[in-house]
This record gives sequence, structure tokens and C-alpha cells, in this order.
Amino acid sequence: MKESKSISKSYRKPLPSLTGRDKGVGLLLLLLSLIACSPSLPEQFEEVTWRASITPDNFGATLPPNIAPLNFRILRGDADEAVTCIHSEKGGEIIVGGWNVSFDEDDWHRLLDLTRGDSLYVDIYMKAYGHWEHLPTLSYFIANEPIDSYITYRHIRPSYVTYEELTLHERCLESFDERVIYENMRFKDSNQGQCINCHLPRNWNREAQSQFHVRQAFGGTVFIHGDQVTKINLKTDSTLSAGVYPAWHPTQNLIAYSVNETGQVFHTLDPQKIEVIDYASDLILYNLDENTVQHIDHTALEFESFPTWSPDGNTLYYISAHYTCRADDIDADLDTNYDQLHYNIYARDFDQQTHRFGPRRLVFDAEAIGKSASTPRVSPDGKYILFTLADYGQFHIWHKSADLVIISLNPEGFSSDCFTLESLNSPESESYHSWSSNGRWILFSSRRDDGNYTRLYISYFDSDGHVHKPFRLPQQSSDTDDLLLRSYNAAEFLVQPLQPTQRQLRRAIKTDARPATYTGSALLHFETDSASFLPVNPAVDRRRESVGY
Amino acid sequence: MKPMSTRPAIMEFANRPILFVSAFAAYTLALLLGVLSPYLVETAALTPFYTNAPISEILGSPCGLLLYVASGCQRCMVYPWLGASLFTALLIAMAFVLRWAFRVSDAWFGLCWIPSFALLVNYTQLGYLIYTVKHPAIAFAEPLGLLIAFCLIGLWYRLNDWRWKVAFMLLVPTVGFWLFGFFGLVVLPFLGFCELAIARFLLSNQPTGKKSWPQFLWGLSLFLAGFLLPVILRAVLQLQIDIEMGHVSFTNDQRDMRNPWFIAYLFPTAFACFRFVGKKFWMTIVAAVVFVALAIAAYTYSFRDPNFLNTLKMKHAAEAGKWEQVLQLANENQKEPTRAQVCLTRLALFKTGRMGDELFTYPEGSAAYNAPQQNQWLRLMIGPLLYYHYGKLGFAYRWAMEDLVEYGERPAYLRYLLNVACLNGEEALAHRYERALTRTLFNDDVQKEVEKEVNAIRPLLNFNDQLDGDNGLVEFYLLNSFSLSQGGSREMVELSLMNSLITKNLTGFWHRFMALLPTWQGRIPTHYQEAALMVAQLQGASPVPDLPVDPTIQQRFQRLIDASARRGDNAANAIALRPEFGNTYWYYYFFVEGLKTN
Repeated sequence: MKESKSISKSYRKPLPSLTGRDKGVGLLLLLLSLIACSPSLPEQFEEVTWRASITPDNFGATLPPNIAPLNFRILRGDADEAVTCIHSEKGGEIIVGGWNVSFDEDDWHRLLDLTRGDSLYVDIYMKAYGHWEHLPTLSYFIANEPIDSYITYRHIRPSYVTYEELTLHERCLESFDERVIYENMRFKDSNQGQCINCHLPRNWNREAQSQFHVRQAFGGTVFIHGDQVTKINLKTDSTLSAGVYPAWHPTQNLIAYSVNETGQVFHTLDPQKIEVIDYASDLILYNLDENTVQHIDHTALEFESFPTWSPDGNTLYYISAHYTCRADDIDADLDTNYDQLHYNIYARDFDQQTHRFGPRRLVFDAEAIGKSASTPRVSPDGKYILFTLADYGQFHIWHKSADLVIISLNPEGFSSDCFTLESLNSPESESYHSWSSNGRWILFSSRRDDGNYTRLYISYFDSDGHVHKPFRLPQQSSDTDDLLLRSYNAAEFLVQPLQPTQRQLRRAIKTDARPATYTGSALLHFETDSASFLPVNPAVDRRRESVGY
Repeated sequence: MKPMSTRPAIMEFANRPILFVSAFAAYTLALLLGVLSPYLVETAALTPFYTNAPISEILGSPCGLLLYVASGCQRCMVYPWLGASLFTALLIAMAFVLRWAFRVSDAWFGLCWIPSFALLVNYTQLGYLIYTVKHPAIAFAEPLGLLIAFCLIGLWYRLNDWRWKVAFMLLVPTVGFWLFGFFGLVVLPFLGFCELAIARFLLSNQPTGKKSWPQFLWGLSLFLAGFLLPVILRAVLQLQIDIEMGHVSFTNDQRDMRNPWFIAYLFPTAFACFRFVGKKFWMTIVAAVVFVALAIAAYTYSFRDPNFLNTLKMKHAAEAGKWEQVLQLANENQKEPTRAQVCLTRLALFKTGRMGDELFTYPEGSAAYNAPQQNQWLRLMIGPLLYYHYGKLGFAYRWAMEDLVEYGERPAYLRYLLNVACLNGEEALAHRYERALTRTLFNDDVQKEVEKEVNAIRPLLNFNDQLDGDNGLVEFYLLNSFSLSQGGSREMVELSLMNSLITKNLTGFWHRFMALLPTWQGRIPTHYQEAALMVAQLQGASPVPDLPVDPTIQQRFQRLIDASARRGDNAANAIALRPEFGNTYWYYYFFVEGLKTN
């Protein structure tokens, strides 16, 4: 396959050693050779209507003006040569030759900056049997609003019970720079295997605060503040588990978590392959300043999970399913009736002075339409909740029916309308998602490429509440994601990079976790059902294949 | 005539390196190709190697280059002759480089084969553990690494200029570490130790004409540089000094398996401390004796368990769709079979349509695997294979994926991920795995292989999906799954009937029997006739008025009843009746007990 040649790229051939007067001649020759060898557009060509196969095919998407180059690969077919020209009506163009179309970063950014609020056109010319053909012009739209500069995510195999190498990454969206924040194989003793998950920044890391969990060896929740790292054990005798799905309070040092007893069961034939089922779950509130844990929701037959705060911090949204007890053994019952669990979206008002929650109220009744909601996320302007909707359950990454859905919130916090985001969704699973700090970009996970390996997509959400065609996370080489046998997981936006080094994190993780103290319920009023709950046995006794959260 | 004239001639002949090379090559190739050939093929299947891995990935981490080259060589074991030749050549090269590095005389050359033999054992001793060792190049990484380390050591001894020596001290633990990992790291401390040891020896003996203090100082510098530079590297670049990747033996828990590694690494120290430069005849004799002893030891400690090697042969035949060969191998096995062998035999009988006639004529058994942790080997060796061929696609995919997560992107797992994706109709996913597989060396025709089995497996997919778990107990799950199943395709009903016979669960026998009866077209397979007779006898009647059972089978059954009634004692009957009735279902039902699954 031919190497792509960008107009501004220097050639890689070693130059002959030149001295004195020869240098000038040499440089001139070099310049001439650069011009002579640079790809140029064919002068004569035939207009055709067929489209080339391109991967990834992001054309038609709306791009942030500060995004890294959207390189792509043209599948060769019968053609011998290809030239791609990307240009704007406002001037400026980049011409790239070859099948791997890779743009110079500086040229790309200049062109995008010039094209803000306008379309960027892509013309592909292919030469087959001695004749050049011009394929139909493709385009992107360049939005005015920039995207947050960084994202974090975890690389994980779409695995079942085992896990080996897990890595938390930080990626600059303006370039291809990526670094590993933390990798779990730092401790080589096989008894020190760790599961790391749920890295979540507070307010897009504006205050340099974030957290992630470490399970198994050296377990605990790691809190990062600037370059300071501490580790807390959020599991108490009164709670189901340590904190699982987190939600930072926007203004106070509080985090709402779900606590879950989760197990995995396996489909014998269905290509969805796995069901990740919560056999019990509650919500807790962790106070970072006081190192205390309180129950928010503690009801036996309600499975609460995936909390998220409104931007003003006055409301906590979460999902909950009512479990109808059909048998003594919940495990056996849910293994058969897993598709009967339907999660709705609920909310509780939060008093920021007293740290007390009011009664729960229904926000979105998914069960009424035979669906199940998960992972609600409120837009930064507080007007919308974006969530995934599937046929049942809450771990929608394994559900092909999972689509992203948005509801607009009225001033009282209730939903009025529900929109399926057609231009965002695919027949495969769309799941974990987050809003950019300006609310104009949505980062979400999708398995649209092959149904199994999750890739990251970004979509523009305009001020009228419309989503635009998404594009796949740009990579230097299109092969990066095509060949990677790992999934991108739990991606979040950051406005600034994380500060601690891997060593600082490792050092903190090696220390004993400081135990949090349980201080009772955070509810304003006692709720009768919250005192009665089913006896909780250790997960290992009950779950055949438990997930190590 | 003086006898003196013959001894130099013998010595001259005995000291020829070609003798050792020929002997070692013949020995190693005979062992690897003659005995361990299936082990080599399996090694290749468990070797993750991408031909077109980007250079940034190869050089992106310490030891990346060495592991890439080593796994590439190891992948050549797909063709045992090629892999064995490469491996042998590498071990031979190691002996020569060792001789060159330490200036060993021809008379002592036999000793230079110690690390080669040790690393031969290091690979061949693993047996079942080959599945659980988390290393991309278990065979080639250490010989290649040690070869490079010996080259560097030889280079050091030939550096005369102090500036070159300083450059060596700076580059080896930094660049050398990056390219060769652990093997680059060990060179300096090793040399430092050797130089210090020699210097000390020389200091105490005050040999004439030697200045030992500079050597002492060089030794000290090497030692310090060997330890300090990696520490600095680690501090500045935050690199992980990944010792484990340097030696295979330390990646498993079997401590006694580390001995070859110690021998391979420690013996060169003796070369450095004590010069092996003499030319005496007795030296040749000693070296030759050591060589022969090493060969015997290497053979002794190589893992040649017949059941293990037979299982591998059966597995490879099954993967190639050569089901008759699987049965032939099952018959050839002289020892009590493991459950893995029994499962492969049953699968082959099912595939060849001879299950109903021959299943109980093949050896039964539950011999222990010659390895620790008994419960995992069946799953690790043939779990995805069995699940795939029996149409349990969810679990075939699951275990291939679980193992890929645990042990890396081995072609052995990728092929089942691809196969299942194809059968599931997940085209894009299949394409991803196909692309991954074709990037591995010698895996170009993957699609053809998939197409071979698809039609045979499709009829087994006629069942309702459900949530389930097998806890890794593959045979147990398959037996129960089929014996408790109802309906489905003809193939599924037959599997259901046979597995209910195997589990001795006769509930529903007649239902399945009657469903299959029309499909046998007048000739009921032998074991089903035997079972029908027996069940009718046990239950007092048959729902089929004129059960079409062969008169010879009826007579044989009567003989069994008479014979067993004569003795009465079940244990005595089991022994006495085995020669005549050992190949019947009746014998299996009444006398075969206590078999384990997995």
C-alpha cells in the first residue's frame, strides 16, 4: 500500500552531505524534488457516481473546529492510484496521495479554523485502467463551538469474567497524543491482579479532581486532586458493596454512588452473549470532607443504579427497577426472567445545606413503553437528559436494542418529550455517553462497527437540541481501531489533563485504603420500605460468575 | 611405533566442533520432530505474532524487538521441521557464541552445550503448562536473549579502548534493555561479577604480568552501572523493569521447572571465572562425557507423556476435520485415556456417524492429567473445540475470549472466535477476526477452514437460547445439556439419546428412541439396540411390540444375564465379563463406575 504524502510533509530519504556553496544548490534541488513529487490533482478526469469504500466513513458528520485530523483509508479495489483533496470555500486545501489518507496536523487545523461554520469538502480521484475518475464530493460541516481538549477512557477486552491488561487512557482530541494514566499490570505478582474502572472527573476536571476504582488486590477508590492521590475503602458493613457507578456533585465535595451486587450469566446461543445482572443495588452518598457514607436509597425490591446530578446540584437522577419477587432464589429467578427487569428514571431533590434527599419522583417511565433506561446524563444547561434505552436491564453495552434517547426537562424536572436520536443510533448497541463542558458535543460508545468491540463516537448537539451525524474518534491510522481487539470503555471529557504520574498513582494504590464510616440514611423523611431488605449473602456464595466491581 | 602419534590424531578428530554440532543437531531434531512434533504445532498455535505489526508497537516497549523476533520464529513451528530447525540452529549458535565469548578451547567445547541443553529442557519440559504460561515466545525468547547476551559479553572481552568500554556500559543497560529487555540488563552485572571474581582471584594469587586492579575497577564500574542505570532509567522514564518477560520459567508456579534456567544462566559464570583453555586429552573426554550426560538428562526431563502427546495429535486431527484419524489415534493409545481423549473420541464418532455403533467399543477412562490443577486442562486444550462442534456457540466464543484475555491474542483462540462469528452471522466481527488471523504467520486460508464445518454444525443450533454457566466443566455441561434436552434436529435428538445413555439417565429413552427409529431406516445402531433391550428388560416391557433387534445381540444379552447371575458379585463380574462384553452398553451401564468428567 502506498504511503500517503501530504503537501507539507518533508521526504524521508536521507539527504546527501552538502557543504558550502553546494548547500544552496542542494536545497534548491530538494525544493524542486518536493514540488515535483508532491501529489497533484489530475487535469483530466471523468465524473462518476459511485462511492469508494472508505474506513472509517465519517463523511457528513459535523466536526469541532479543534479536532485532530480525520484520517481514513480508501479501499483500493481495482484502482491503481488515488488522490484526495480536502478544501473549503473559504480557501485553503490539502492534497494527499495514496490509499492511507493522512493529513498533516498543522495544515488540517489551519483549514478547520478557516472553515468554522461552513462545509469542508473532500474530493477523491482514483485512477483505474489509465483513466482518472472523480468520485462524488463528500463533505463535513465544521461547527463553531470547540470540543473539550481531552478525553479519558479504559481499554478492555469485551470479556466475560477474566480480565488481564486494563489501562486507563488520556487522549488529546486536538492531536493523536495519548498516554496511559494507569495500567493494572504494574504489580507483576499474579496475586496482585487488579480491575480498574469508572474513571470519572469532577466537572470535566476543571478543579483537577477525579476518581477511579481499583478492585481485587489493593482495592479501594482512588481520589485525585491536583497531584495528590488518596485511596478510600467505600465498603462498609451496612452497604452492599464498595461504590460502583459514581456521580460527582457539581459544587460540593460529595459523590453519589450506586452499590451493586452484580453477576454475569451467559447466553448459550444469542449473539448478545452476556447478561450482566444486578441482583441487588442501592444508592449511597459519599462525603469526601468527612469520609462518611450514607444510604440514599436502600430498598430491597428496588434496584437503583447509575446516579447523576443536575448541573445546579439540587437534583439527583438515577435509574431504578422494581423487582417482583417470583421465587425465593433471586439468582435463579433473574436468570430466567432477566428480560422482565425494566428500569425507569427517577429523581430526588437534594438540599445542599442539610445534605438530605427528598422523596423520589418518576422522571421517565420506560417500563410503560416496554423499555428499560440506563445511564442518564443531564446536559450542562440542565435542559435535557441523555440516556440509553433498551428492551430490558441496565447493562446496555451487551444489548443490541440499546439506543441513545434524549428527554427535555421542564422547569420542575419532569420529562415532557422523548426523542430517539436517529442520526446517532445504529442497529448495534449505543451505551455509555457524556456531555462536553459546553454541552455541544456528545461522546458515546457504540458497537456499530461489528457488534462486539466498542468504539468511541462524537456527535454535535446544536443549540436547537438536534444531534448531527457522529464521527469516530480520529486516529492517526485507520488501522488502529480496525485491528484493535479491545473496547473503549466509560469515556469522559476533560478540559485539562490529569496531573498525577503513574508512579504517584501506584504509590497511592499500594497504601492501605482509608475506611469510610457509615452514618445512616441521607433521606429527609424515613421511607418505610427502606428498612426492610432481603438478607445479603456474599456474592461469591450466590453468584456463579460474579463481576469484580 | 610410538602410541603418542595416535592420540593427537584421535584428539584432533574428537575436538572437531562438527562432531558436537552433528550430534546435537541430530539429537535435538530427533527429539523435537520424532517425539514432540505435536507439541511444536501446539506451541505455534499458542503463539501470538502479527507479521505486519507497526514498528512503533514493536519498539514501543522494553524487550519488544526480541519478543517480536522470538515469537516470529516460534510461529514457524506450524511446520515442525522449520520450527525445529530454527530452534536447533539457535541453540547451536548459542554454543558457538559462548565458546567465542569466553575463548573456550576446542577440548572444552563440549561444555559450551550446557546452556543449549538447559534451554532445550526449559521448553520441552512444560507439557500441559504451555497453555497457562503467559509468555508470547516460550521456546525462542530465552535462547535468542541469551545468544545476544553472550554476544555482548564476548564483545566486552574484546574491547581494549576505555572509551568503547564506557560506551558499552552506557548503551547496554539502556538501549540494550530497550531492545532485549531482561537480557540486556543482565549483561553488565554478570560481567561485573565476573571481572570482580577474576580480579579477586588474581589479586590473591599475584600472578605475574597481570594488573588486576584495573580489572577490579572495571568490574566495580560494570556492577554499579548494571544496577544504577536501570534504576535511573526507571526513575526518569518511569519504565517498568519487566524481569518476568526475560525468562519463561518464572512465569509459572512450578519451582522445579526453574532449574534449567538457573543452569543456563549460572554456568557461563564458571566460564568467566575459570579459563577453559587447555588442550589435554582428558579435557576432551570430560567435555564429551558431560555432553552425553546432558543429552540423557534433556531426554529424561522433556515432557513426553503419551496421553498428552496423543491428545494433541487427536486435537490437531480434529481441527483438520480428519475424524477417522482421531479414531485411529484413540485406538492406538496404549494407556488409560484422559477425559480429553474420551471427549475427542466421542466427537469423532459423532462426526463420522458411528456413535451409535462404536461409542462403547473405545477405551473409557479418566486418567489424571500429568500436571497440577486437574480441572482446567480439558477446557484449556479442547473446550472451545468441543463447544463449537457440538453447536454450543455461546460457550465456544466465551472460552476462546476468556483465554484470549488471559493469555493473549493466540491464533488458537482467534480461530474459534472467527468460526463462531461466522456461524452467528456476525459478518463484520468475523471480518475483524479474519483480519487478525491472516496477519499471523501461516494463517492465510482461514475462511476455507471455517466453511468446512459450518454445514455440519448448523443442525445443532436448533435450540432455544437461555442463560447458563458451565463453571469451566465442559464435559459435564455437554453431557447434561444434551441428556436433558428435548426435541431439535435429528442430530440433536441422537446426541440427546447417546448422552442420556452415557449419563445412565434412562428417563425419556423411549421417547428419543422412537423419534429416531424412522431415521435409522431399518438398521438400528448396535448400542441403541443394546440399550433398548436393556431398558425393556429393566422396565419390564418395550413400547415397540416387535423391537427390531438383531438376534445375535439378543443372544449376547442373554449370555450376559446368565453369566452375571452365575457369579453374582458385581466386582468379580466387572473383571470376568470385560473380555466378552466390554464393548457393549450393558457393560458400561452396569460395571463402569466412578468416571470423572473433565
